[in-house]
Amino acid sequence: MRLVVRALSELCITAGALVVLFVAYLLYWTGVQADSASAAQIDTLQRAWADAPLVTAPARVPAPYVTGKGIAVMYVPRLGRDWKWPVLEGTGPDILKQGLGHYGRTAVLGGTGNFAVAGHRRTHGDPFKDFPLLRPGDAVVLTDGTTWFTYRIDRGPYRTVPSDTAVVDPVPRKSGFRGPGRYLTLTTCDPEWGSSHRLIVWAHLDATRPVTDGRPQALDS
Amino acid sequence: MYGWIWRHLPGNAWVRALISIVLVLAVVYVLFQYVFPWAEPLLPFNDVTVDGQ
Repeated sequence: MRLVVRALSELCITAGALVVLFVAYLLYWTGVQADSASAAQIDTLQRAWADAPLVTAPARVPAPYVTGKGIAVMYVPRLGRDWKWPVLEGTGPDILKQGLGHYGRTAVLGGTGNFAVAGHRRTHGDPFKDFPLLRPGDAVVLTDGTTWFTYRIDRGPYRTVPSDTAVVDPVPRKSGFRGPGRYLTLTTCDPEWGSSHRLIVWAHLDATRPVTDGRPQALDS
Repeated sequence: MYGWIWRHLPGNAWVRALISIVLVLAVVYVLFQYVFPWAEPLLPFNDVTVDGQ
């Protein structure tokens, strides 16, 4: 009898410790890993940009995106002055551990169509934790090393279901955009710790400027 | 279970305590490095894309 009670209590203690450790892993350790992975990705990008000969933007033919490799750095002033995440090509779990992911089948950065990006709401650095704070008019600024792209949010956060792939269409349904244009879509999960829904914001390309002209104003306002 | 492990560790109490700590650290390492990354996708925090699934 005593043996059974002892074994059972040891089992309970072990299970409890496991759960505590797993929560620590999710809340803390994935963030630590995402911070170092995203910093390394931004580093790699900036080193590649520094090495590349500086050509004026229109003359440069953009290299095709390679899955898992960084393509741009995103800044969203509303989410924090220091908020800065790399955008990687692809939306697989291993890619989203290191930063934001660009939907492979959507447009290139600054191109006609829809540049769609997904990011974690919680865990792995919480990049889109404050997603519901985004409002129409907010700036989403990206750079690919030669050009600053300033997008302005038009609609959102819009709540939908995971199967609603039309939100990343070239002219997204429900976005209010009517004709073809240079759009951007951000997606994350909703509720914060769940996966039953998705939150979406849509933006349009408002301005571009060569990196040689300095940071866009939207970043410092 | 823990009592059984303790009784089968060699050395005096100090050595046993030291080995226990190393064992615990090893278990935590394996959990963080292999088990938790495997278990994580089974939870709903990772689904942030619209994918038609």
